[in-house]
This record gives sequence, C-alpha cells and structure tokens, in this order.
Amino acid sequence: MTGDALAESLRVNVAAILARARVRVVASWRETSWVVGETVFPFLTMSAFVLVYRGLHAPKVYEAFVVLGAAMTAYWNNVLWSMASQFFWEKEQGQLQLYLITPVSRMSILLGMALGGMAMTTTRAIVILLGGMLLFGIELPAGRLLPAFGLFLLTLAAVYALGMILSSVFLLWGRSAWHTVTLFQEPVYLLSGFYFPVRFLGAAVGALAALLPITLGLDGIRQIFYGEAAHGFVPVPWIAPIEVALFALFLFLAHRALLLMETLGKREGRLTLRGQ
Amino acid sequence: MKAASWLGWQVEANWADPVLFLAYSFAKPLATTLILFFMVRVVAHGAATRETFLFLFLGNTFFLYVSEVLVGLSWVIFRDREDFETLKYVYLAPIRFVPYLFGRAMTKIATATLGTVVALLFGRFVLGLPIAASPASLVSLAGVVVLGLGGIVFLGVALAGAALIMARHSMNLNEGLTGTFYLLCGAVFPIEVLPGWAERLSLVLPFTYWLELIRRILTGRAYAAPLRAISDGGLVGILALSTLGLAAASLLWFRWCEHTARARGLIDWKTNY
Repeated sequence: MTGDALAESLRVNVAAILARARVRVVASWRETSWVVGETVFPFLTMSAFVLVYRGLHAPKVYEAFVVLGAAMTAYWNNVLWSMASQFFWEKEQGQLQLYLITPVSRMSILLGMALGGMAMTTTRAIVILLGGMLLFGIELPAGRLLPAFGLFLLTLAAVYALGMILSSVFLLWGRSAWHTVTLFQEPVYLLSGFYFPVRFLGAAVGALAALLPITLGLDGIRQIFYGEAAHGFVPVPWIAPIEVALFALFLFLAHRALLLMETLGKREGRLTLRGQ
Repeated sequence: MKAASWLGWQVEANWADPVLFLAYSFAKPLATTLILFFMVRVVAHGAATRETFLFLFLGNTFFLYVSEVLVGLSWVIFRDREDFETLKYVYLAPIRFVPYLFGRAMTKIATATLGTVVALLFGRFVLGLPIAASPASLVSLAGVVVLGLGGIVFLGVALAGAALIMARHSMNLNEGLTGTFYLLCGAVFPIEVLPGWAERLSLVLPFTYWLELIRRILTGRAYAAPLRAISDGGLVGILALSTLGLAAASLLWFRWCEHTARARGLIDWKTNY
C-alpha cells in the first residue's frame, strides 16, 4: 500500500469511528426518556442493594462496594446490549450488510460503537457515583482518584475489547444471542463481585471470574480506594499489567472473530435475513 | 389469547432445545439468589444470616414475576414493532390488542414460574432454608400469587401502552421502573429502612402487600413492621382492591397511548441508534 493510500485508508477509518460514535452520543441526548431511564432509575435499583447492607448494619465500606459495582454494571450492560448484541440487531434491521459493503474496517465500526457507548454510559455511571456520595454518604478518597481512574480506563479498554469479540460470536449464535445476554448479565454480576468482594467466592471461582477484565478492574479500584477493607483478591500492582495483556489478547481475538464471522456468514448466507 | 400465548412461546423458545432454554431461564433467578446469599454471608453471622437471608430470598424470588412480566410486555411491543415488524399486522388481524397482550403475558408468567420454582427448590434443598410447604399453604400461596399476578399483568399493559409511544431505547425506562418497584416494595430489605416519604410510597404499591403475604404464608410470621397490625385477610383485601384500581387505571392509560400511537403513525415506527 502506498503512502497516499495508507493515509486515505486511515482518514476513512477514523471518520467511520467518529461517525459511529457520534450516532450514540447524539442519540443519548435526543430522547428525554433515555436520559431519565439511563440515570435516575438505575440509581434507584442500586439503592436497593445499598439498603440491603444498611438493613444488615454492615460497615459503610460495603455500601461503597455496591456504588462502585453499580457504576461498573452500567458499562458491562452497555457492552452486552450495545456491543455484543449490536451486530445481531443490525442484521435484523438490515444495516449489517451496509457496514460490510463500506470500505472501512469492521474494527473501526466496533471501535466507534465502543467509544460512543462509553460516552453514553458515563452519564449513568457519574449519576450513580454522585448519587451514592450525596445521598448515601459514600466516600471516594480524592487523593486516590487518579490511580483509580487510570485503572478504570485500562479496565474499560479490555472490557470493550471483549465486547468486540462477543459481537461476532453473538451474531453467529443468531436468536440465542438474546438469551445469551441474560446468561452474561446476572451470573456475571455474581461472579465479578459487583455487590460484594469477589474474594468471598473462594480462590477457584475467583480465579475463573478474574478472566473477565471487569472483575479485576473492580477489585483493583476498590483496593485503591479502601485498602485492606476492600478484601482484595488480586494484588493491585498485578492488575494493570493483566488488564493490558487482556486488552491486547481480546483485540487480537476480536479481529480474528470478525474475519471468521464474515467468512462463515457469507458462506452460510447468515449475514442478512430473508427478504432484506 | 390462546394464539397469542402460543405465539409468545414460539418467539421465546423455538430457537433452542428445551434443556438449553431452561438453563437460560434458571440463570437469572439462581444468580440473583446467590448474590444476595453472599451479600448477607459476608456481613452477618450464624442464625442471623439464615433468618435475614430467608426474608431477602423470598422477596427476591417472587419479584421475578414483576421483572419478567413488566419488562417482558414492553419488549413485546418493541420486538413486534421493530424487529419482526409484525405489530401493524396484529392490528390488522380480527383480534383485540389487550387480550393479545394478556396472551403474550402468559408466556412470561410461565417462564417466571419455572424460574421461581427452581429458585425455591434451590433455597429449600441446597441452601437449607426453612420454607414451610403444607398442602394448605400451597393452595393459599397459589391464590395469592394469582391475585398479585393480576396487578402485575395490568401494570405490564400500562407499560406496553407507554412503549407504543416511546422509542425502542426507552426500554431502559421500563427496566428502571421495575428497579424502582424493587426498591420501594421491600423485596430485599424491610420497608422500615426506607425514609418516611419512601415508606409511604411503598404502602401505596400492591407489590408490598403481595410480598408480605407470600412471606407470611411460607414462613408463618409477619415481617414488615408497618404491616404487622394488618391481618392476612386484611392484606388480601387491600391487594384485591389495589389490583382492581390498577386494572382500571392501566386500561384507561393504554387506550390513551394506543390512540396517540395510531394518531401519530407510530404503530410501525422504527427506532435504533
């Protein structure tokens, strides 16, 4: 590829990333009901779990575990519903074929979805965190915000890279994708320790759960904020390198999975629905 | 209604073999049960753990009906309208839409019942919870569950009406509303923990009385402090009256939403970002 062609390809792909991300950012503010649905109501659901701990007279730090877990839940749900199952929706609505005939990488489309999804979900996560601090008196030590934010960004990168893999897999699974999302939702809330420290699941289950970047990220962020009281599972210094490794691995696998999905889909005629 | 139930079952389950489908159906109730189990276990000890967990377990298990049916009925609109693009044909068919929704709700009730029964058996035999189940209590339980389900289905119809005039992503709104009920009706904590204003709201919801009745039937004792003075018969009366009120309000709301959707041409609306 010549220098000019490479530059043109880069320009087109960056434009595709921004365009796909923009759709989500604009859409998230277009519908008032979405803003309410994405912010106020998830906060109320999270409050139920905070009140469980309050009803049990648990130490305050456990309420903080729930708030941090709920903020991360928002991203996990976004990965499941707006990344993993998105290609499946796109196929059902006839847009997948349009993506496939454009001269851009499928990874650029997914990256755009991921960036837009992160922006969209951050509103919800911020409301949950602020609400937790203002209404439930949760404390996030200001001095530890920067390292926690750094680990959070690494976690998001790995989690959304996992979402890229799932988008291909879910597409091939067809209609079972719908129910697979359910399988990846509450069971992952349990395994990743969204509402309690993952260490209490035991070493074997915890190690299995640690294959999910969100488990490690949440464990690390809680440890950064609350130290020993967080009942950490993996030492904090290990978590960042593992997240980077998972990100690289998932990105590679996502690329392979997309190629496989496209090849298989074309061969078996599963990229479009009858009548499209 | 019978055809709609069958259609609902086909939409829900015809893509997988029954064993796989059941595994999907059980995943949510068992996972939420275990989340609460660990939450209680990490902070409570000994007998307190079991007693407290029993309270949470029953509320959470039966709340599955609320989340499945409420969210499920809204999804019926979004899926029929936007994924299958069949909603307009349902309107063209010689059937009335509310009975069609009742039929679709039956499928959701069936899958929720499966999940609830499995969770109850898991609680009784795996977690060793002291759940009483004499034939008489089972009959009472069935009656109370059916009565509560009436309210849940009518509320689902109201949300389905809202879905007719809202974009697909407003699903979050309906799921969030379920979360609000989860918070306010004391599914997983005693309602006396709520601030005064929220406790008063809780006492307006039929689900609060429904869950209290179920807990009383299965454990033989009262739980929610503000309801202790009310007899079981009194709770049934309140539940029946509130269900009737909810039914009337839901049907009126649905008719308004349906009229608005047809007037604005939203029956075959497509929204996806």
